[in-house]
Parts: sequence; structure tokens; C-alpha cells
Amino acid sequence: MTKYFLDAGTTWSKILKVEENEKEYSVIKTRDLKNLNIEFEISTGHSGKFGKNYENEVVALSYGAKRYNDGVILDLGSRDAKWIKFNDGKFQDMDWNNNCASATGATIEMLLKFYDVEVEKLIPTKEKYSVTCGIFGLEKIMDDISNGVSPNLAISKFITGIAYNAYNFTKKPNKIYLSGGFCENKCFVESLKLFTEVVLLGRYMLVEGLYNIYLSQTK
Amino acid sequence: MKDTIAFWGYPHPELIKKIKEEYKNAKWLDLDIDFGAKNSGILPENYCSVMKNIFNNAILNKEKIIKILAPVGKDKCDCALFAVEILKDLGFEIETSVFEEKTYKKENCPISTSSLPLRQKIELITKNIIEQKDYSHLEYKEPTAAFWGVPPNDLSILELFPNTTHVLGWTRCVEAMAPFDLELEQYCMEGIKTVFFAQTFCAKNELAKYLANKYNGLYIDMDGFSSNSTRAKIEAFLRLR
Repeated sequence: MTKYFLDAGTTWSKILKVEENEKEYSVIKTRDLKNLNIEFEISTGHSGKFGKNYENEVVALSYGAKRYNDGVILDLGSRDAKWIKFNDGKFQDMDWNNNCASATGATIEMLLKFYDVEVEKLIPTKEKYSVTCGIFGLEKIMDDISNGVSPNLAISKFITGIAYNAYNFTKKPNKIYLSGGFCENKCFVESLKLFTEVVLLGRYMLVEGLYNIYLSQTK
Repeated sequence: MKDTIAFWGYPHPELIKKIKEEYKNAKWLDLDIDFGAKNSGILPENYCSVMKNIFNNAILNKEKIIKILAPVGKDKCDCALFAVEILKDLGFEIETSVFEEKTYKKENCPISTSSLPLRQKIELITKNIIEQKDYSHLEYKEPTAAFWGVPPNDLSILELFPNTTHVLGWTRCVEAMAPFDLELEQYCMEGIKTVFFAQTFCAKNELAKYLANKYNGLYIDMDGFSSNSTRAKIEAFLRLR
């Protein structure tokens, strides 16, 4: 029997379809979810409260990434950042940044659109803005651009600032397992590597976690 | 008609006793609590929610308030000293109090260690500042979790905790009748998952964050009302830790 699992973020929704132990992953815009005629077994995410069962995002992340024992697992999405750390398979520490959420993916997407910059063309830079929150960051970008800095460089500096924030937010670990949409942003990944070792987990850790929760419940 | 004695924090027990005798039929109003009063606009927008509650409640109930009992010692924060000056200037009658001695201290805290729901525990403790009822009949329950801190502005976050949650920090000190007992305020239980809470802009954040690191707990700094993410963070911590 086919089972569906949903991680509905603010902008993007990640779906895992499991049929005869075969897994199929897909991503759609969250606003298009309403057009799907699918019943989700378990769902998570800011926009995911319409599945049969809703699961907490950090719990979903922990079930998806428990095997990564030697570093911090960081999920960075369009709205917020959350991380978890295991030691010998046991939960050790976590945090969830819900205050400066504007300093994450959604802000970068808006900046790219606003300045008509392609994400693939961003070149990582060691220079960074001190991005305590996205709004302060925006002000610095606008100041720099009005002083002649190219939008590409200004956005790259903003991204390095976010990478530095992520590194500090996760308590400066030696290794970060990165989950979420930022895995596909090469500039961000390279910027984060300026501070620590980075292993990419892709966008589907949370739906993997939901599936693992489902398996543990149906055993 | 003036028929209400208002207070914040934990006024000295002798002062409460004296006022109870003096105003036998008076109603009591805890100004710390968020009753949804309109923002008085007296304090800065970005400021401690509990201090804003004090002003909002006081202004809303000005016609009813006989006087305000105002702790200003180390049992309350420094903000109280300024609050007294402002409220006096606004025409309120104020009686200050300092409750720093430990002579009233009780060894047992039956409410904090009972199996009552956490929200009920904290509401009972604050209510008992004035009522002074005996709760020694409440049975001790082994803790599986703990909540450290002051009563939050948003009491609904307390509903996320299991009934086996013990109360620690300043709220425990209040039940123990020792609101300035730094040793008791720092008391924590090794190995028990503890959420360390402080209201945004409160100096207690300093201690909350430090103790959260020391005891591998969860530090929560929350302004007025909890966001979905804050609630989910507490929920995840209690499930995974």
C-alpha cells in the first residue's frame, strides 16, 4: 500500500512516497499542496498541519538523522534554523531559532529576485556582514550596493554572515551535517566550510524521519 | 470605589498580615499577571512583559486600588525601584517592602513537588502569597522533568509539561517563602530534564542560560506570548532529552 509523508515548509514542501519499500522523493511549492489529492500518513513543518498525524519538526529531524553521531545536524530552511546533536545514539543537545527567522532562506530568495541575481553565479567570499537579523542585513546590503558594490558580492557577503551565524548558533562544532534547502545553495555551503567541516544530507531528512517514526509505530 | 489591594512579587509577610487586618474586606490583585489589560504605553515597547503587566493592570484598575504593595529588595528586580517612583508620580499610594531574610523559609515545597499539572502548581504558588493555605497534604511525586524560572507571562506553555514536573528557581523560592534565596534559586536536579525559562529583558536570563548549560537543559527566553516554534522546541526537548 502506498504511504505518503510530508514536510511542508513555508515556501517548499518535500514529499516522500513509499510503495513496496521503494522510495520516491519530490518537492513542490507549498502553495500548490492544496491541489494534491493525497492523504499524508504523517506530516511536519510550519505549513504541514493537515496530515492525519502531525509531528514536531525537531523530532522528525532527530528520527531522520540519528545515525550521524559525530557532529551537529543542522536543518536550515526558508524560515528558521534548528539543530540537534546525538552522543552514542542518545539525544544530547538542540536548539531552534525562531526569532531571527528572516535571516534565512526566504530572505535570500527575496534578495536574489529583487536584485535579479542567479544563485548559481554567486561566488563565496570570506567577507561577511554581521547578520544579527535579516532586516539589519538588508540595510547593509543596500548601503554597500549604493556605494558601488555589486549585488552579487553583497549577497555573497550576506550569505557568509548567515553561515557564520549558523556556525555560532550550533555552538561552533567541528562538523555540521547540513539538511534542508540550503544544501543546494553552493555559495552557502562553501561559506559554511570556511568555519567547519560540512556534510550534505539533502532536503529530505525530515520526511525520512517521519517514515522512521511510522516504521517504529507500526512494528 | 476603592476596594482593592494590589501587589507585585512577594511583599513581606508581615506587611501582608498588617494590610489584611487593616483592610479586612479588600480584594487582592496580583499585578504581575497578564489579564489582557490595554497597553498603558508608559513603559518602552521593548521591555519586560511582567513589568508592563504591572503598569497596565495598575492603570486599568486605578479607581479601585487602595494601595500597591511594592517589593523593592533583592527579592524583586531593580525595575521595581523605578516602577515605585513612576507609580507614585501617577498618583498611586505605595507601600514598599523588602523580603530578603530567610527566617520564614520552609524546608518542604509540597506544591512544587506534587503531581498537580504544572500550570496549576504555579498558579497555586502565586495565589498562596496572599492566601497562605497549607498544602502539606499534597503527595511528593518523583520528577521526570523540571521547570526553572519565574511564572511566565504566557502560562499556557506550562501545559506542555508532564504532571511529574517539579518547580524550581524563583517560583520554588516563593513557595518556600524565601524569594531572595540565591542558593535555593540555583538548586537543580542532575539528570532531570529541565527547561530554564526567563522573560525577555529580565536579568534572570543571565542565570537561566548559565544553568541550562551547566545542567544540559533547555534555555528559553520568551517575550509576551509563545510562538509555535518555542512551543515545539519545548515539546521536542521534553520528548527527546
